[in-house]
Amino acid sequence: MDFSFSPDQQLLKNSARAFLDEHMKPAHVRALWDDPRGESETLWKEMAQLGWLGLALPEDAGGSALGLVETSILQEELGRAACPSPYLPTVLAATAIDRFGSAAQKSRWLPAVAGGSARATVALLERELDWDAAAIRTRAEERGGKVVLTGVKQFVPWAHVADVILVPAVAGASPAVFAVETSAPGVSVTPLTGMDPGLRLATVTLDGAAVAAEARLPGDGALEFLLQRGAVGAAAEMLGAARRCLDMSVDYAKVREQFGQPIGSFQAIRHKCAEMLLEVENSHAAVYYAAWSLEHAAEDGPLSASVAKAYVGDASRKVCGDAIQVHGGIGFTWEYDLHLYFKRAKALEPMYGDADYHRELIVRRVAR
Amino acid sequence: MDLNLSPEDRAFRDRTRAWLAANVPRTELKTLEERRAWHRTMYEAGYVGMGWPREYGGQGASPMKMAIVADEMARANAPAPINGLGIGFIGPTIIIHGTDAQKQRYLKKILTAEEIWCQLYSEPNSGSDLASLRTRAEDKGDHFLVNGQKIWTSGGHISDWGILLARTDPAVAKHKGISCFLLDMRQPGVEVRPLKQITGSAEFNEVFMTNARVEKSDLIGRLGQGWEIAQTTLGFERGGNSIARVTRYASAFERLLEAARKLRRAGKPLLEDPVVRAKLGRVYAEMEVQRYAALRVLSALQKGDSPGAASSITKLSYSEFEKRYYELCLEILGPYGQVTDGGLEESSLDVDSSSGVRSSWAYAFLWARAGTIYSGSSEIQKNVIGERVLGLPKEIRADRVAGESRGGR
Repeated sequence: MDFSFSPDQQLLKNSARAFLDEHMKPAHVRALWDDPRGESETLWKEMAQLGWLGLALPEDAGGSALGLVETSILQEELGRAACPSPYLPTVLAATAIDRFGSAAQKSRWLPAVAGGSARATVALLERELDWDAAAIRTRAEERGGKVVLTGVKQFVPWAHVADVILVPAVAGASPAVFAVETSAPGVSVTPLTGMDPGLRLATVTLDGAAVAAEARLPGDGALEFLLQRGAVGAAAEMLGAARRCLDMSVDYAKVREQFGQPIGSFQAIRHKCAEMLLEVENSHAAVYYAAWSLEHAAEDGPLSASVAKAYVGDASRKVCGDAIQVHGGIGFTWEYDLHLYFKRAKALEPMYGDADYHRELIVRRVAR
Repeated sequence: MDLNLSPEDRAFRDRTRAWLAANVPRTELKTLEERRAWHRTMYEAGYVGMGWPREYGGQGASPMKMAIVADEMARANAPAPINGLGIGFIGPTIIIHGTDAQKQRYLKKILTAEEIWCQLYSEPNSGSDLASLRTRAEDKGDHFLVNGQKIWTSGGHISDWGILLARTDPAVAKHKGISCFLLDMRQPGVEVRPLKQITGSAEFNEVFMTNARVEKSDLIGRLGQGWEIAQTTLGFERGGNSIARVTRYASAFERLLEAARKLRRAGKPLLEDPVVRAKLGRVYAEMEVQRYAALRVLSALQKGDSPGAASSITKLSYSEFEKRYYELCLEILGPYGQVTDGGLEESSLDVDSSSGVRSSWAYAFLWARAGTIYSGSSEIQKNVIGERVLGLPKEIRADRVAGESRGGR
């Protein structure tokens, strides 16, 4: 049993840290906040060259055939940088296509994602924010050899830059997942502005959008896969944001003086920082336990994904919020960078199943 | 990263499980002699002092193997061996700091529990500020004469020997004037009084030493080295048992679910109540995270990394969780959770306590209050984490300014 990163995993983490420290400084994040598109084409191409986009995709698609642990390592570093990027939904959707898609879907999308020429996303929410599969209202009806999709998907991450969206819809009696190209007729994407401009969301309206019958992902279980893997990815990113907030708070508490002493010498501040560290370390254990367990199809993999999302959502909100408190007034200013990470953690909290939903999933699993 | 047990560890787990299934006593152990007999059985099977070096009667077993045994014992609801402090940290202290004669004299009998040991550290006026302790040990030429009072002495009433911190030099800074001794508890100058706790039981004691005698040969390390010795060995108290602790929480959770199926609210089982489900989901997530974190610490120990001050994070995390956990249990169980005698089936569960007794929810709830105080309170752990893990500046302390010149009062 070994809970630590392998040398290769550690190398990946270090190189991602070094790259983002140079190319995704807070000033870069802020520039992208003001950018209408919200993400950088140059960065996306660099991510492809670094092998990040194909990290978990098969080698014949130009990927490295690694797994969720490696993806989560990158996700954490992206969160640490508050990097505005459709990385999470793209990799999530591509991994689902790899697992559940047809040969044609794989050859259409996987090399394109790994090579940096396509972006993808997933549309898991509708108007009422009900995460249960039974609540999906979007319909998929066969008409003249095509499938016609009708419904509205809400809060779809990065839909305005995506080439393909994985859309859960009711086909007959049960839900299925369809790979819908955003260029298809009847698909319209309306961006909305959120509190974290580094995580762009959009409303996707499917107004009788006609796609080929082959757009349906043939494998079973894609919806659960998306929710579980998305939950771990989001938890990893929240962990990164929380770790950044902790580091900034500790650095600040060492140098900021009041009453003639560094504020970190006061127990009121020191104890808060210790509690923040506890939450960050527990979150680390939760994220990587879940990543490994899902990747290796461990019996408690799905349970651990819910544990990670529920726990890290609460923990990162507390840590990032306490960071503002430790900083005092400066932490509340727009110029100071703390809110970049605070907002990223908050923005991910309701995505891929909020904490309440994952707590309910936990009880369903353990109280059968 | 690989969270699977190695084939060797899996085989060891299976053997341990089978041995426990065949050997765990069917009835509750009531007397000290019954508990000694069970200890002896475990010792002879090689499950006691596994982590000690082979030359001193241990097996040099890996942290993983010790964690497996603790975990399997929790699963099998096996009574703990006795002499936990002796085996867990007093023996290892003698191994590290003791003389050959001390090792010869004491170690084997610690393992076999022929002699039971306690720890004489805390005093009524020296809790978190342990280094301010006042018990004196005077050099009388051929022996030391000990006078003072200790408190929170776990197992003191059944102990034959105690490891003692006492002041030998009041003139130097308080950390530097303390020495470490081995004290014979069975002598006229040592009086042990049970200390009844809020649980109603008395696992702890007060120990009064009046002209008690310590042989010169029972000084551990050098004169004035006591604080340093205590620092290096306090860490032995933490670490390997974290997985087993979560296994006990999980077994209590099963009983809690059973109760939530039987109890009702608004005509429906409590387990169908969304408010209750939300609380159960939250506490279960926290419990699982304790387990993941324990695995991570175990993995580091297994690789030979000493957690050092980071073990404070583990202690803070589980002890604070344990309070929240049993608070929720009692909230869901209502008055059933407070029954100490004559309750329903689900009002009893097994909890880890220093005496290893079977006990009620109420006992577990009350006992949880001790966890955030003993072995360094949560506040002390946060100081340690802040100073030694995060590198935050030390606070300005009145005794640090004055104590360097005035000594330990």
